[in-house]
Amino acid sequence: MRGVRRLYVAYLTVILLGVAYVTVLGLMGR
Amino acid sequence: MTAARSFVKDNALGLAFGGMFLVTLVGQAISGAADYNAQQVTNGLEPVSILDYVTSSSFGVDVMENWQSEYLQFFLYIFATVWLVQRGSAESKEPGDEGMESDEEQRVGEHARADSPAWVRAGGWRTTVFSRSLGLVMGGIFLLTWAASSVAGWAAYNSEQLAEKQDTVSWAGYLGEADFWNRSFQNWQSEMLAVGSMAVLSVYLRQRGSPESKPVGVSHAETGETG
Repeated sequence: MRGVRRLYVAYLTVILLGVAYVTVLGLMGR
Repeated sequence: MTAARSFVKDNALGLAFGGMFLVTLVGQAISGAADYNAQQVTNGLEPVSILDYVTSSSFGVDVMENWQSEYLQFFLYIFATVWLVQRGSAESKEPGDEGMESDEEQRVGEHARADSPAWVRAGGWRTTVFSRSLGLVMGGIFLLTWAASSVAGWAAYNSEQLAEKQDTVSWAGYLGEADFWNRSFQNWQSEMLAVGSMAVLSVYLRQRGSPESKPVGVSHAETGETG
């Protein structure tokens, strides 16, 4: 189950990084 | 089997879709930049590099407006299927089983087992939260991605306004703009149709071996048995 947990964390990380990245782009007015 | 091979086999679904996500995101970046540059040329402006494009709010809002609708879809589906059934559907519980179900069926409270997740055995607020965690996280991601799409959409909208020598708007002002709601609704409508189709088409159609389908030989009238 350790590998599965890593994949679970990877999915959540990608989602949150995507949200943060796009929010920053917007706030910077790019 | 080596550890690496068994990792791949055990996680094939998550890995395959994760990989396809990355490939299609690159596809969106390449085709989006080409489309954006065609527009730039039409407007008599300089084309931009792909790096400039993927760091623009125009790319950001195109990505995020699709993400938000997918998470809205799953959030609504997870909660709706607790309370609503579709007779004959592989995606539904049996008519009569609507609602939160008993502690025994859900293995909570005194029915928790030794291998139940820690927050189930803990009881109290932790069990209450954990019992709704899938819907809460999907709903939370929907709100975050929708908010991100509004911020990037606002910036992209304002750069278009500037290019057309029009007034820019505040973020709150953008939330009242047709652009924001058009982006939201055009994604939402497709999700609602797709989810409704899945619920209804799985009554009469089968996919052998898929857990999204009833077993091939099961009667159309039978609800909720997957195989």
